[in-house]
Amino acid sequence: MPQRRHLVASAIVVLLLALLPLAGSRYAVDLTTEVLIYALFALSLNVIIGFTGNISFGHAAYFAIGGYACTILLTTYNWPLAASLPAAVVLAGLVAAVVGYFCVRLTQIYFAMLTLAFAMLVWGVAFKWKAVTGGDDGFTGIKLPAMLAHHVGYFYFTLAVVAVGVAALWVICHSAFGLTLVAIRENAVRAGFIGVDTRRMRWAAFTVAGTFGGLAGALFGMYHRGMYIENAYWTESANVLIMVLLGGIYSFVGPIFGAAALHLLQTFTNQYTPYWPTVLGLILLVIVLALPDGLIGLAARVKARRGRT
Amino acid sequence: MTLTMFTLNAFYGLALAMNMFIIASGLNLIFGVLRVINFAHGMFYMFGAYITFTVAKSWGAPFFVGVLAAAVALGLIAFAIERLLLRHLYDKEHLMQLLFTFALVLLMSDAAKMIWGTDQYSVGYPPGLGGAISLGFVAIPQYQLFLCAVGPLIAIAMWLLVDRTRWGRVVRAATQDREMLAALGVNVPMVYAAVFTIGSALAGVGGALAAPRIALVPGMDATIINECFIIVIIGGLGNLWGSFLGALAFGLVVQFGTVLAPDWQDVLPYLLMLVVLLIRPWGLLGRPETN
Amino acid sequence: MKCTAMLAAVGVLAAGAAAAQQPPIKIGVLYPLTGGGAVYGVPALAGHQLAIEELNAKGGILGRKIESIERDDKLNPAAASSTMKELITKDKVDIVLGGLASSVGLAMSEVSKQEKVVYISTIPKSIQITTDKLHKYVFRTSANTDQEGDTMAMLAGKNKLSKICHLQLDYAYGNDLEVGILKALPKYAPDAKIVLTLKPKLGATDFNPFIPQVMAAGCDGVLSGLWGPHFVSWVKQAAPLGFFNKIKWISGGEVGSHEIAGELKGEYPDNVISNTYELWYHANDPSHKEFQAKLAKKLNTQETPQWAALGYIGVMYAAAAMEKAKSTEADKVAEALEGLSIGTPVGKLTIDAKTHQANIGQFWGPMVKKSDRAYRMMEPAEYIQPK
Repeated sequence: MPQRRHLVASAIVVLLLALLPLAGSRYAVDLTTEVLIYALFALSLNVIIGFTGNISFGHAAYFAIGGYACTILLTTYNWPLAASLPAAVVLAGLVAAVVGYFCVRLTQIYFAMLTLAFAMLVWGVAFKWKAVTGGDDGFTGIKLPAMLAHHVGYFYFTLAVVAVGVAALWVICHSAFGLTLVAIRENAVRAGFIGVDTRRMRWAAFTVAGTFGGLAGALFGMYHRGMYIENAYWTESANVLIMVLLGGIYSFVGPIFGAAALHLLQTFTNQYTPYWPTVLGLILLVIVLALPDGLIGLAARVKARRGRT
Repeated sequence: MTLTMFTLNAFYGLALAMNMFIIASGLNLIFGVLRVINFAHGMFYMFGAYITFTVAKSWGAPFFVGVLAAAVALGLIAFAIERLLLRHLYDKEHLMQLLFTFALVLLMSDAAKMIWGTDQYSVGYPPGLGGAISLGFVAIPQYQLFLCAVGPLIAIAMWLLVDRTRWGRVVRAATQDREMLAALGVNVPMVYAAVFTIGSALAGVGGALAAPRIALVPGMDATIINECFIIVIIGGLGNLWGSFLGALAFGLVVQFGTVLAPDWQDVLPYLLMLVVLLIRPWGLLGRPETN
Repeated sequence: MKCTAMLAAVGVLAAGAAAAQQPPIKIGVLYPLTGGGAVYGVPALAGHQLAIEELNAKGGILGRKIESIERDDKLNPAAASSTMKELITKDKVDIVLGGLASSVGLAMSEVSKQEKVVYISTIPKSIQITTDKLHKYVFRTSANTDQEGDTMAMLAGKNKLSKICHLQLDYAYGNDLEVGILKALPKYAPDAKIVLTLKPKLGATDFNPFIPQVMAAGCDGVLSGLWGPHFVSWVKQAAPLGFFNKIKWISGGEVGSHEIAGELKGEYPDNVISNTYELWYHANDPSHKEFQAKLAKKLNTQETPQWAALGYIGVMYAAAAMEKAKSTEADKVAEALEGLSIGTPVGKLTIDAKTHQANIGQFWGPMVKKSDRAYRMMEPAEYIQPK
């Protein structure tokens, strides 16, 4: 259950982030907005990975559905934000519920490949439904409410939405539901014996993940003033999967660190050299070989060492 | 569709299937034994094609020397990767291996750019295989016919190796219980290294054999890895003949599907996998995992 | 004589001193430098760098040195959008150039509109950039699909094609080019009939589902938008069947460039008529020789790639506009670009004041065997410029 120090720490982080625009760097504000969006995206994926022990290769589908739905409703149909954002999130959740219904019948790599197959169908729809999505030209020219058109306004909006999203995920993952999921991950057979409907619980987890993935996607589409089919492609799914693995799947906050680390590394290495894949590859290699539990493992190790001395 | 067209499409589907089988069989072997999801397999395929280009075109050696060179080079690269890096990861969280192979993809793509630049390349057909054979009512390219012969040969060779030799029994045992195997005095790490080497060499051969019929460009690794996984999964994990069957299904569905429903060609392999997994959740010849 | 030389020296020194005092003009550029797009992005960037080296050797723009800030767009529109914003907000660039994919061009145009920074699209051909999505700050110095389609239709008429097979890749560029061709075909070849339209997917490596259909359709010509590796893979799979013996292949997508001819060498098929932005062995403007010589030196090869010219022209336009506006302010530079004419290695170009589209042409011609070369060359190469 939420301990007071966790709450205090979270509040301090949010407060510090809220002070960021005062520093006066537009670039820092934009970059942080991007990191926040990816953090929510990665966190949502970890509801499947960390809490049910199955990896998904198709999480970009829900990200893209959220992003496309929100931006299309805002722009093509002139819906207000207060309607289009919830609608987009609900739609992503609904699609995740349908896809999840089929996927949770499978486990391990078969589960992963089935999520990939469904996600590529979503990509195919975004690609071919040109009249609505703009096809591979992308959907650009998004109309935003005046308040969000300014980068600082959008930053605060993102911060608020992500903070609420993270809090909601925290509550879900630490509820009886979340604990049951952990039990399933650790031993599905035993969980089944004590009366847990494992398939149903995993289905619920899949739906939750898709819903919050859709929320992240909606934030992403509005931030970029555009959605592109590349954001539904399997490479986007792989990217967020790497974020989660990099951060560490057995901790709630791990994916947040992973998302921040990977996105910042990708951004900064590109500034530094056109051979950024080599630099990024080497950094990842070191992390993999030295920190088998992901970045969060490093934090735990440091803490353990400090505890000893 | 006329009978001529049907025959042609069936033949081309087979040829595609056999080329894909060669690459996918290596992935299947590695996944079946090491349980590593090797994202870098597509990169090994690309290196196979590029090495063939260097040996056969730049150095002017015969094409099949290039194929052999690709197999040997990829085997050596894979052996080094396994011995120096990958083996440290078997006992750790297995998802970290996925992160590891992702890092490999980044490093190898840049290495390819440093070695070969960003130009696109072309490898000529080997002499005697660059034309077409007329069957009376239809002409078919010799090289595709050649691929149709090589695929089954590799399948049979792998079957003999895995099912009919002592080493093959060890490999199969390693997929079941490596602790027990080690207790029996088998050098399990070397079995793993050998499997990774052979599997990767097959990717190299697949790339080398694909080289004469496609353009060699950066990024040619990108979709091949998904297609290989699809073949392995629909066939049933770790099952050689399953992969063979999976490759046949893949080749025929892609060929006929593209002709009959071209609007769907981007997602055909994924649709195939979707249908197979919904009907047979462990692939065509796979068995449910006991866990 | 000595006196003028001294004066010149003083002038250079003074210019140098002035340049040292003023902050440099920053030009941001995005091209794909990794993955599949690098084939085009890397040579385009080389041309871009050559232009900046040349300008800096002459004292820069407005007496200020030029700093080029180069980034990989990763062939991903969202990544390009983030990176372009970074160039604007962090590096404070005065103008942004580049792009390759249509979607990346449109994403960069969107950022340019939001941030009010001039963007010159140097490779993307998507017609939308200069039509539906046109705004004050976006300009294009590459061809567009309407221009390319118009020329292909004209060539279909000129070669008296009557039964046409139409091949396009099934994505934005291919679909837009198809529209461009169909718009112009009745004008140039009223009697021609399209008997078959096939659309392989973007990134296809296996064309066996399509080749037999084209061969069975009995067309006397193919209008094709298969570019780069798609064309090469088609050739490799179709040539063994004698595909190119009877069919005339009229192709957009720059498969007449030396990059393709030099790589396919003896495998390059007969009966191909295609296009390219630039040919290292052919000049239609006196300045081409010097440009090509410098590029050859920079890339260390005589046979230079065509894409470099596009990167080069983009920079030259940016420089000319700033000189004309006597400012680097986006609004003034945008105004200066409207209707601006400059001399380039492929001749004089003008940006239309209304559409923001440069009237850049392309070289079109048949690819013929040469007794003294291992590769084919375009001959005669006709420079076709839109009106």
